[in-house]
This record gives sequence, structure tokens and C-alpha cells, in this order.
Amino acid sequence: MGDRLTQLQDAVDQLAQQFVACIHYINRHHNLETLGPNDMIRDVPKEQDQQEVAPHPPDVFRAAQVELAQDLITKEQQIELLISILPGLDNSEQDQERNIRELEDELKAADAQRREAVREREEAMAKLDAVIRSVRRP
Amino acid sequence: MEEEPVSSTWPLLPLFWQNFTPENTARIADLRKEKADQEGHSDPSKVRIENLPRELRCLQPPQEPEDGEWRVFGNKYTLVDELPKLEDMGIQRLFPNPEERDQDGKHFDRATILKRSAKSLLLNFLELTGLLATNPEAAEEKITDIRDILINFHHLINEYRPHQARESLISMMQAQLDRTRAETNAIRDAKDKAERILEGLGSLKIEDVASEAVPEGKDVWRDDREAWDALVGESTS
Repeated sequence: MGDRLTQLQDAVDQLAQQFVACIHYINRHHNLETLGPNDMIRDVPKEQDQQEVAPHPPDVFRAAQVELAQDLITKEQQIELLISILPGLDNSEQDQERNIRELEDELKAADAQRREAVREREEAMAKLDAVIRSVRRP
Repeated sequence: MEEEPVSSTWPLLPLFWQNFTPENTARIADLRKEKADQEGHSDPSKVRIENLPRELRCLQPPQEPEDGEWRVFGNKYTLVDELPKLEDMGIQRLFPNPEERDQDGKHFDRATILKRSAKSLLLNFLELTGLLATNPEAAEEKITDIRDILINFHHLINEYRPHQARESLISMMQAQLDRTRAETNAIRDAKDKAERILEGLGSLKIEDVASEAVPEGKDVWRDDREAWDALVGESTS
């Protein structure tokens, strides 16, 4: 799982692969039809292992087509969704730079505060330590 | 010993890493400062020193390649990391120039173009299937169209990468800020708690001392007083 741009790119690549898969399926599993009344489907001797087409029954073929088409639409919708949630669409480069600079300053301040807090904690610890030591002595 | 590995995932470190000793880095820092003072530069890190002693030579970063290109691990890199233009790759560009869109610096135009391309892909595929069914020879052109749209799509996405990188940086910094603040608060809380306990201990101790010390004190004082009384009585009588 990468960032959103990579996800989007992957989704587009998947869409392209689906295109290929669709055409491949139709190319491979369609039925043979006669174009005119005088045409005949020739009986090709099945000596080769691989047949040119492997017709699926019409209802299966139809259902598969519908499914492939639905998948295409779903993928396209996914792509649109990914596009609309791309990070920072409403930020310009200047906005980003300003943002980064502000965050940098805030980070510095927060870090200084943290160090101050650590120092205070150490002081408190030292105090506590001293008290505990003095209590131990009779 | 174990067998020597035939090959490692990464190449060995260049040997000059051994020159980066604390003494050497300190020496080159001094030399840089000296040189900077001589030449009136304010920033010693920008200074280049000629004729460095051998062991310091590797501590000075090499100059930028003059032709703006270099090779690492068999790949060529350029100083200016630019996305090649679609026209240069012989691909038809299907969206307006960067200068002509996203006027206010925002990226809604890009999103619109991307969405349009996605829809256009579907439509072109529909047309392609239609063409394949009726006139397969004409499909070639349609396939080129789809390829162009796909390449354009990827190009637009890659153009957006620097933007996303900055955006990721912002969110990482924000997370870091939140974490630091939470940590500070936690430390403060712990400290306050410790101090409260200390205060509690303090008041407790004073009471104890007082309650223990008073009866003893009384006795001591009584003894003293009797002694004094006796003394005073003796001296007056």
C-alpha cells in the first residue's frame, strides 16, 4: 500500500490490464456465427492442443461480459474517488511552504518546551530523591 | 570463520570513510574558517580549499559535475531533476500547459483533468471494442489513443509527486508536533504529581515532628527550669 498517488497509478494500470483482459476474454470465448445463409462452420480437425476459440455457452458468455463491464465501471469509480482524495488539492505551493515554515517554528518551540519540562522533571526527581534519602536516615 | 559471502546486497563503503575522524573534521573546520576569514565569506561551509593534505582531501565535498550529469549504479542522474516533457517523448499532450491551468496555485484543475481522462479511457475502450467488432483494421489508431491517454494520466500524476511529497512532509511534521506536545504534557503531569506528593510528604513530616517533639521538649524544659530555679535560689539565698 503506497501513498495515494501510487495507489492511483496502480489503479490506472489495473484498468488498462482489465481492458486487455476483457478483450482477451471476448476474443477467446466468443461463439462462432455464420454471416450468411450459405456460410458453414468448418469442422477444423482438432489436432492442435489449443483451439482458436473456446466458445462459452451464450448465457455464461453474456454474464461474463456484464461482470467485466461492471468491473470496469467500478475501477473507474475507484480512480475518480482516489483523484478526489488526493492530498492537498486546495493547497498551493506557497501555502505549503508557509505551512512547513510555521510548523518548523512550532516544532522548535515545542521541542524547547519539552526540554524545559524534562529539566523540571529532573529537578523534581532530585528533590524527591533528596527527601527519600533524608527520610531513610533516622 | 564463516564463509565469505560471494556478493553483498550493497557495495562496500568507499575506503575514505576512515578519514572522517574527529581530529580531521575539526582540522578541516578550522581550515575552512581561516579561509573564509581571509576571503571575507560569511559561511565557512561554502569555501573551497585547494591543495589540502592527502588525509583531508576526501573531507571536502567534490564540486558539482560541470555538465550537470552523473552516474550512480549504472543510472544517469541530472542536477536538475526534471520530468521529461510529453512532447519530447513524442506523445500528444491532452491537457493545457501548467502555466495555463491552476491559476490560483490550487490543483482542482488537475483533479478535473484526471477525472476527465478516466472517463475518456472508458469511452475509448467502448469505442475500441466496437471497432474490433466491426472494423478491426481501424482499431490500431484507437489503441494509440488509449495509450496516449494512459501516458498523459501518468504524466499528470508524476507532476503531482513533488506536491504530495511536501504534503506528506507537512503531515509528518504535524504528527511530530502533536507527539512532542503530548510528551511535554505527560512530563509536566508527572512532575506536578511528584511535586504534589512532595508537598503532601512535607506537611505530613512537620506534623509528625511537632507531635513527637513537643512532649520531649516539655521534659527538657522542665529539667532546665528546675535546674535554673535551683541555681537562682542558691545564688539569692
